[in-house]
Amino acid sequence: MEPAISIRGVFKRYGSVTAVNGVDLEIEAGQVYALLGPNGAGKTTLLEILEGYRVRDDGEVSVLGMDPGRERGELNRRVGIVLQRSTPMEGLTPREMLNFTAKLYDHPMHPSEALDLVGLSEHADRVGGKLSGGQKRRLDLAISVIGNPDLIFLDEPTTGFDATARRQAWEVVRGLTERGATVILTTHYLDEAEHLAQRIGMIQHGQIVFEGDVEDLRRQLSSETRISWQPPADVDPSSLPDEWVDRRPAADGRLSLPTQHPTRDAGRLIDWAREHGIDELDGLQVERPDLEELYLELVGDESEAASVDGAPAEQAS
Amino acid sequence: MTAGIAVRTLRLGFEYMKLNLRAISRQPAAVFFVVLFPILFLVIFSSLLTFELAIPAEAAGNVPVVTFSQYFVAGIIGSAIFGTSFNLLGNSLAIQQFDGTLKQLAATPLPRTSFFIGQVGTALTYTLLQLVVMMILGIAAYGVELPDGQGWLTLIWIVLLGVPAGCVMGIAITAIIPSANAAPAIIQVPYILFQFISGVFFTLASLPPWLQWVAGLFPLRWIAQGLRSVFLPDAYKYAEPGGDWQLGLAAIVLVVWIVLGFAAARFTFQWDRSG
Repeated sequence: MEPAISIRGVFKRYGSVTAVNGVDLEIEAGQVYALLGPNGAGKTTLLEILEGYRVRDDGEVSVLGMDPGRERGELNRRVGIVLQRSTPMEGLTPREMLNFTAKLYDHPMHPSEALDLVGLSEHADRVGGKLSGGQKRRLDLAISVIGNPDLIFLDEPTTGFDATARRQAWEVVRGLTERGATVILTTHYLDEAEHLAQRIGMIQHGQIVFEGDVEDLRRQLSSETRISWQPPADVDPSSLPDEWVDRRPAADGRLSLPTQHPTRDAGRLIDWAREHGIDELDGLQVERPDLEELYLELVGDESEAASVDGAPAEQAS
Repeated sequence: MTAGIAVRTLRLGFEYMKLNLRAISRQPAAVFFVVLFPILFLVIFSSLLTFELAIPAEAAGNVPVVTFSQYFVAGIIGSAIFGTSFNLLGNSLAIQQFDGTLKQLAATPLPRTSFFIGQVGTALTYTLLQLVVMMILGIAAYGVELPDGQGWLTLIWIVLLGVPAGCVMGIAITAIIPSANAAPAIIQVPYILFQFISGVFFTLASLPPWLQWVAGLFPLRWIAQGLRSVFLPDAYKYAEPGGDWQLGLAAIVLVVWIVLGFAAARFTFQWDRSG
């Protein structure tokens, strides 16, 4: 089956800033794909190149077999787009907007069906200016799917939502994906990518630094277990087992060691303790770090990464 | 096939116009003031300036007395036509370019031509509303007479060509507007200048030739002159440049603006300046 999206060597520069720096990507039809990355990583620029809003400087792009730069009119008939910012026409109700939008497509769904799908039926006749942020977002979603698109772009569909609203929005997006369309969403929330996507591409400084399914991401990020403990104040660092000698204690005094061999390394540490007459290693922990922590570490969020001591930030890239 | 596309483009343009009008109708205060504004001008200027227009020597004896109010009714109707197309559309498009409304619209299969048809249709509807109100007022209060058969015909084509020509200018001026907030201030300047040099407030003959020539490059001068042919006694054409209503030239200038303007707008109009 032909991929829904196939891009090769795509570049986009703004002056001296390279927003998209040589991206290759292939997205299968029917898949939910998350472009995950921090703010400013190039997610929206890449998405808008695929949508046809921006013109790439270099590279090949095929969306549903078309070039969005040249065949945008045709592409718009088969694609639904939810932009990052929501701007319903103030004087109109969701039903009026949907009635109009439905007329633009060859095989639209009924406006009331689209309203149901996004859970907006109750507010269908409320004028746009009076809708809440979440309701406006639902309207955006309804507008993007009313034409029964083969491909849906969602640019940060839940940014700015509280936890409850996000979960509700996830339900709506799942409802859309069950209709069989390919969905590409951008997000800077790892849990959002985990909940919604079958495949995840992590983007950083305009490059895809990782690609795989949720399990791959988990493996990639947490291939290492950490052993950590609180050494006594009077311990001589040079007497520690070799792998610990160069470890620097964290602010709270704990030493930690990322390792591919937790049983072997924990055994060595315990042997060392026995030899030195230490009965208990204070605060000994052998753990696989939380995925969210590792993601934040990977994308270089300094304040969060600092709490995960030890591992160098670029190890997973 | 091509006919099918044309029908679809027109139909969607009509649907978009209906959508626009519905959104506008939810803001009755805005509609009221848009319609009222030129009428306020008419009432104030007509009460301040009560003189009769000078009659050129070669036409003396042939021309009935024309009061400034009569002259001004024609001008202010032209200025209203130009206002709802150039001024109102320019502002509304600039706002929608910057707030993402047009970016959202550009994601749909609405043909660009339908979008422009819808915008022109919206301006035409507004214009008809203004025209009705001002003609009633002009006839009731300012000695304007209902047009004759030929006059009606001229009125109709002046509106049908004048509104799209003004819309083209409204679309064009968005190119030099740097932000939504700046739109009203920037658009207001040429709007007022055009009124002064196009024979709305002053007769064309009272302008220096080079200024007449500049005004002749833009639609309002021709719209206003055409409307004078509708609302003033025919003999008064002797006071016009060249002693004629110049309707043929008016039609040509307006059509050129429409054709070139929309061709340019289709390719240069910016749908998204929100980023």
